[in-house]
Amino acid sequence: MRMWVYVVRRLLLLIPVLIGVMTITFVLVSAIPASTRYISYCGPAPLHGGQAALNAYLAHCNKLLGLNQPIYTQWGIYLANTFTFQWGHVGNNTAAVSAVPHIQGQLVTTVLGWLLPYTLELALLSLVIILLVALPLGRLSAVYRNRPIDQVARVMSFSGFAIPSFLLGSLALIAMVLVIQHFNLAGCSGSFREVWGSWPAAGCMPGSTPRNNDYPAWLQGGIVSTPTGFPTIDAAIHGQWLIAADTLLRMIVPALIIAYGSIAVLLRFVRNSMLEVMNLDFIRTARAKGASEATVIKRHAGRNSLNVTITILGLTFAFFIGGFPIIEEVFQLNGVGRILALSAQQPYDFGLIFGTTILFTMIVVSANIIVDVVYAFLDPRVRLG
Amino acid sequence: MTSVPPPPPPATTGKKSGRRPSPRWAQYKRTWYFMRRNTLAMVGLGIILALVVFALYALTTPYAWTQMTQYCSYQPGTPNVGCEGTPGAVCIYSQGTVSPGPNCYVIPSSYPSFIPPTVTLIPFHPGPLPLGSFVSGQNSMTGYYFYNLYHGIVRGADWSLTLSVSIVGAGALIGLMVGAIAGSLGGAIDEVLMRLVDIMLSIPQLLFILIVVAVLSQLPIFGNSLSVHMTLLVLAFVAVWWPLYARIVRGQVLVTREQKFVEAARASGASRGRIIRKHIIPNSVYPVFVQMSLDVGAVPILIGGLVFLGFTQLFPSTYFPEWGTLAALSVNPGTLYGILDSTQLNVAVYIPWWMMLFPGMMLFLYAISVNFLSDGIRDALDPRLRR
Repeated sequence: MRMWVYVVRRLLLLIPVLIGVMTITFVLVSAIPASTRYISYCGPAPLHGGQAALNAYLAHCNKLLGLNQPIYTQWGIYLANTFTFQWGHVGNNTAAVSAVPHIQGQLVTTVLGWLLPYTLELALLSLVIILLVALPLGRLSAVYRNRPIDQVARVMSFSGFAIPSFLLGSLALIAMVLVIQHFNLAGCSGSFREVWGSWPAAGCMPGSTPRNNDYPAWLQGGIVSTPTGFPTIDAAIHGQWLIAADTLLRMIVPALIIAYGSIAVLLRFVRNSMLEVMNLDFIRTARAKGASEATVIKRHAGRNSLNVTITILGLTFAFFIGGFPIIEEVFQLNGVGRILALSAQQPYDFGLIFGTTILFTMIVVSANIIVDVVYAFLDPRVRLG
Repeated sequence: MTSVPPPPPPATTGKKSGRRPSPRWAQYKRTWYFMRRNTLAMVGLGIILALVVFALYALTTPYAWTQMTQYCSYQPGTPNVGCEGTPGAVCIYSQGTVSPGPNCYVIPSSYPSFIPPTVTLIPFHPGPLPLGSFVSGQNSMTGYYFYNLYHGIVRGADWSLTLSVSIVGAGALIGLMVGAIAGSLGGAIDEVLMRLVDIMLSIPQLLFILIVVAVLSQLPIFGNSLSVHMTLLVLAFVAVWWPLYARIVRGQVLVTREQKFVEAARASGASRGRIIRKHIIPNSVYPVFVQMSLDVGAVPILIGGLVFLGFTQLFPSTYFPEWGTLAALSVNPGTLYGILDSTQLNVAVYIPWWMMLFPGMMLFLYAISVNFLSDGIRDALDPRLRR
């Protein structure tokens, strides 16, 4: 099958998957009592005016939320809105809004556009760390199988998997408080949470007031614009090198913890695929013709064990873009994962629940397609079909 | 690579009767022989056996989870507020006052609030005796709550092992069946099942579990019983867990069904059902075991993560004797940001390290031992890998 035919076919198959995901989410959310929706979107019920006022309030809310229509009409409108990118608004009085106030009443698409770059930067940084550690370590592990170096590497990487990230993250946060509480690069002042806990450094622009949990406070002074939305890149574009470095620096600890938790999976795959390849005939041929051991491991075995690694990396990255709810909560970073977790807390934020679900589905499904196509490029024996 | 001398051939001859053991038994013995030489696998097996014994011991302890849950609005100087009159009630009293009776525990008057301004930083407060003492956390709804960490960990062995094994076991079983059917039948059935798998894999799992548990547990027909609540929890986890297994098994089945021995079985007239049961499934389950070993240890950690995020409605009460929950409660935002803010005020900091260490240690031991054991089994079973 031609490559583009395959890609188009897979893209078309995305539609039923998306419809299925949205339907299941719709059913789940419809099971939540409607009264919680009124709390989230309609404001408090009237205290005075008796039954008449209450009825008027309910009628107003039902009309506002479209709940006065039959359920299948709601579902149809809902799917139509999904595919036309009308993903609704963030609520007025939800758990997500009380944690991240500046998103109140905004379009869900806008809010996701704000938050996604943060998560993407964190995901990229952690992925780089994972690659730098897992690839060489996995190869070493395979070459020195069941020797001390292999066992130490495996114990270390598995320990990252086995230590709860919320525990490790909290400990790291406490350690940072105790050890480097007065350390900040961009010359910002304020309490620990304002310096380390917000992202990028709140109040780092001269003249702006430090605000906790605020979307780019240093950009809101009206001085600069956000051409890309990525905090580090924006700072670099505006020549704010100290802020760029500071932003990067405050990403490093969360990224290290995320990487530590995920290295085990990749290392396992690298090690296993290396072991499989090392037993094959062409490795013996390479040794027989006198290639040095380093060449055999690096050029022959290493390169041929890469296919699986790339698959796993792609899927890991897709999973990462979905956000890191726990790490983002520990370090109070406003990324996609934190907003997803907050939106599912009472009072629910229905707009954000649907928005993050659509986003997550699209990312996962497209990552699968990309991985399949890349896999076919790398390994000519794989047929698409 | 330096050559390792080949192992002596495993003894397959029977000692007593002189009869050769059955091939299956010989296979087990050979596997055990190779596993015994793998240090990590043996360490893992030892830890798992110890944990199972611990869980069995937990079953015999008289403390039910309800007896350990106790909410007290703690005010220094007024012990036992809100704690009287309940069977198995937690009895606490402030430091410096007279013990109200037997089986009462001292709460240091300075814990978990912080000593007024000093310039000393005390990272590790010696605190009360770590195990068997009551530790507390802050809950914005009910003030302070107290639980016995030791009893929590003992009962937690029970709950953590049961929850993780039942979730992963049921998920793997469903995934195995769906994957085997989709892979070996192919066609429209395959397409439909795999789209279903895609859908379930694409839904944010966190969201799914939370909404299912939160919504269903509040329906009046389910009442408020513990068993119903835990069944819902397990079902919600299984619903997001099986698709991964289905995908793994299907991929493996697609490879296996092209192998020569399947062709041979078909040529010798085996029915389709027999081929699936006897040839395809047994040869496709290795990756399932590997994934299961990763997942079994991950379930309590995942539950702890959910509790950390504030989803305490997963369980019937905020405190629940489950290792992940205990670990999450030790670093709940109240405790964590209390610590962080107190450093800014330059006051003494008490870090309740025993609350973090002991549940964390249990989670760690459980996850890592399952991993090592399954790695050992995999290595021992795979003839290409044992050398």
